[in-house]
Amino acid sequence: MRIGVFICHCGSNIEGTVDTAEVSRIARDYPEVAFATDTMYACSEPGQDGIIEAIGEHKLDGVVVASCTPRMHEATFRNTLERAGLNPYMFEMANIREHVSWIGKDREANTNKAADLVRMAVEKLRRNQPLIAKEFDINRRVLVIGGGVAGIQAALDCADAGLEVVMVERESTIGGKMAKLDKTFPTVDCSSCILGPRMVEIAQHPNITLYACSEVDGVSGYVGNFSVKIKKKARYVDWDKCTGCGECVEKCPSRKAPNTFDEKIGPGRAINIPFPQAIPKKATINAEYCIKLTKGKCGTCEKICPSNAIDFQQQDEIITEEVGAVVAATGYDLFDWTVYEEYGGGRYPDVITSLQYERLLSASGPTGGHVKRPSDGKEPKNVVFIQCVGSRDKSVGRPYCSGFCCMYTAKQAILTKDHIPDSTSYVFYMDIRAPGKLYDEFTRRAMEEYGAQYIRGRVAMVYPDGKGNMIVRGADTLMGRQVEVQADLVVLAVGVESAKNSPQLAEKLRISYDSYGFFMEGHPKLKPCETNTAGVYLAGACQGPKDIPASVAQGSAAASKVIGLFSKEKLKSDPQTANVDIKRCIGCGKCVLTCPFGAIKEVDFRGQPKAEVIETVCQGCGICSSTCPQGAIQLRHFTDNQILAEVEAICRF
Amino acid sequence: MLDKLKESIKAALPELDFVMGWGMGYDPLHATPLYMYEPEDVDNLVWGPLNVHNLAVHLPSLKGKKVGIVVKGCDSRSVVELLQEGLINREDVVIFGAPCNGIVDMSKIRKAVPDAHFVHSVETDDNGLTITTDKDTHKLSLAEVMADKCTRCRFPNAVVADHFVGEKREPTVENDAYEDLESFESQGFEERRDFWMTEMDRCIRCYACRNACPLCVCRDHCVAQSRNPHWVSQRDGVRDKFMFQIIHAMHMAGRCTECGECERACPMDIPVLLLKRKLGTVIHDLFDYDSGLDAEARPPLLAFKLEEESIKEKDW
Repeated sequence: MRIGVFICHCGSNIEGTVDTAEVSRIARDYPEVAFATDTMYACSEPGQDGIIEAIGEHKLDGVVVASCTPRMHEATFRNTLERAGLNPYMFEMANIREHVSWIGKDREANTNKAADLVRMAVEKLRRNQPLIAKEFDINRRVLVIGGGVAGIQAALDCADAGLEVVMVERESTIGGKMAKLDKTFPTVDCSSCILGPRMVEIAQHPNITLYACSEVDGVSGYVGNFSVKIKKKARYVDWDKCTGCGECVEKCPSRKAPNTFDEKIGPGRAINIPFPQAIPKKATINAEYCIKLTKGKCGTCEKICPSNAIDFQQQDEIITEEVGAVVAATGYDLFDWTVYEEYGGGRYPDVITSLQYERLLSASGPTGGHVKRPSDGKEPKNVVFIQCVGSRDKSVGRPYCSGFCCMYTAKQAILTKDHIPDSTSYVFYMDIRAPGKLYDEFTRRAMEEYGAQYIRGRVAMVYPDGKGNMIVRGADTLMGRQVEVQADLVVLAVGVESAKNSPQLAEKLRISYDSYGFFMEGHPKLKPCETNTAGVYLAGACQGPKDIPASVAQGSAAASKVIGLFSKEKLKSDPQTANVDIKRCIGCGKCVLTCPFGAIKEVDFRGQPKAEVIETVCQGCGICSSTCPQGAIQLRHFTDNQILAEVEAICRF
Repeated sequence: MLDKLKESIKAALPELDFVMGWGMGYDPLHATPLYMYEPEDVDNLVWGPLNVHNLAVHLPSLKGKKVGIVVKGCDSRSVVELLQEGLINREDVVIFGAPCNGIVDMSKIRKAVPDAHFVHSVETDDNGLTITTDKDTHKLSLAEVMADKCTRCRFPNAVVADHFVGEKREPTVENDAYEDLESFESQGFEERRDFWMTEMDRCIRCYACRNACPLCVCRDHCVAQSRNPHWVSQRDGVRDKFMFQIIHAMHMAGRCTECGECERACPMDIPVLLLKRKLGTVIHDLFDYDSGLDAEARPPLLAFKLEEESIKEKDW
């Protein structure tokens, strides 16, 4: 074998603390190394051309690049090798940036470590085999999980491009958080007026199948060929028959059920249609509060329903859909604001969340758009907004900024003035974060034209004054003094956290999630809507707090990724799969038991049981090869001998 | 009891290719595996503290034949393990069990009877053994020369048997306290490392430990003697010897029934069972699992679970 070694400077990223010329000089003495050099930017066009040139000139048949992470540039360099006529798997990468130059300052030690890592890569490469990817068919259907604005956008873009779309929504209607909003910043246009037509389009689009009141139960398969189990939850109403007339809702005697769409401030019913524009506009029974389902009596809705749609016997149902790609658009949930006991959320009726306030402002909300405070229905004159409730606060485990609360608070202050002209809004803020297009102008308008009183400081406590109002006491850090504001209504700008059960869904989809439960993108800058699992894409706030324009943009971006994936004739499977040495296999079946993907089956070979890998299903995790006691099943490109050679390369003494 | 055992074997023999048990070996002190094909072979069967071998080791290579096997309690757990791993078929094996009072440790006998080279006769009774050599007569109590594993025996009767003869015996102990392991681990790191380095250095790489192990089922494909994968080299030195023992122990984790055959077979008396006992406690503590008791159970390391009940990787 003739190996070429290229030590990248990465500008000064590596060269700053690693003597790359010295590393390449040391590498020349490694076995089978025919050529070694240092290069300014190996990934740049001249850098790659240099590699191709060296392959030709020195008749190289394997290449080591010592630079950044394989996650960053392995694909880049494999392509380079392919262009030079070599098999792309005759390539190894040594990470001397994240593993060396960025973590140590001692130039001599760094140089030695870099040389060791290069030695490992050379030893592995010496045992590499050319691998050829197999091609397989794509199922050109896409699953969109979540029917909020991001999911709607992704679904419509895919459907318009001619793809079949399956949308799964946990709630009984699509629309997500945006459907609950009254108006949207910075244009103050009506939320349901702009979202409503999109929702209708979802319902009417011939390419879209919508499963509302459903959840993803399990996902198996791989890019191009996923099999998704969807749990259609029992809703106790036959939706094929329900016309959404709403008579059952009016007559339902169970009035203690929480109205989740109205964020629990409006009156609820055990049987409910969330709002007039709901898609699908179908009634659903809340089994926990239904008198018939809990006590066996009542059944009023069953008697009154003109289309006989009520079905108390309905059970959860599991259906299977086959798709080729998945877009996760599961959105966010609100931080539990009652954690801040000093604000009195959950204790005082007139301390409400920003989303509850949206429902009070909304014409389709419980108050018909007249702002009335929950305790006595009085129109509030002094409204205090408290920002960063569950944002930028390490003490509650939420150090990140939720991003859009500054904006919606400014919007709510403006709307308050519109609804109640003689009112005054007070906003306790930490910093105003308004970096979007027309955003800063909008917050200024709230202050300057609508007279919102912005007070920079945190609130220490909120307490009732005994006369039916609240006192908000806090600091004004600009004035350097304490302030007390008498408030008729206190609105908490509650921060964003990952949607409930996000980690569980991530495990089902086999994607990563961060410590807050937000799904991890493929690369924070360059792959914002891909995941590290092929065929799974992200849209909206499930990846991190996002406002509507950003969610919509990411929905479209995810759709374009799906369309791009499906535009290929066939997909190539990763050849880095497990492989059975049939001579060594004793047919004990231990690998079959441990494979998480069901990718190994037992076959009969001349009367003896043997293991066989289904290559398209194998994900290359390697559990089988660490289970097999005699090492008969090996992961291609990561064989025992390759790994042992790497270990030997660093443990030489 | 031995007569009853013979009767029951003779009764079953017509249906079987043969039955494995123990007979007298090259001298009265050493028993040896006995293959009984005909009823008259059964008359050579012996039962007692000299039946040290775990005959289950032969079962996987006899797959396809219909065989009988005589087991002690500890041997029966190996049979369960082999059944569990599908290496033998239940319907092809007929298991004969009898209560075991413990077996001897030949190393202990060799120490107690220095002239055990020419043994004329051995008599065993409830109190122990009387060994007559060409020089002397030695009376040994069983407790004196009993194998360590028998002093902490929890299963003196076969855990699985088609024919069980004799009165079931009470276990020697309720629970294995792992006192040997505890006292070993009470030493410091340096001492423990020095101990293993010295012990392992004595290994002659005969692989008797592996060959005697009923659960070392790779046989000709053992990684110890393979170039691809090349886990263990031909180099002389403690590193490769130690490496092999660690591989053996790891391959046994969650499967080993601590029958002690590895240690018994070792001609150098290296205490290799201790490594396996360590992993046994780890598996027990982590997965609340004891091997070789339930043929239907799934050993914890031969299953995939996204979330282990006892290993909390996440806070949900």
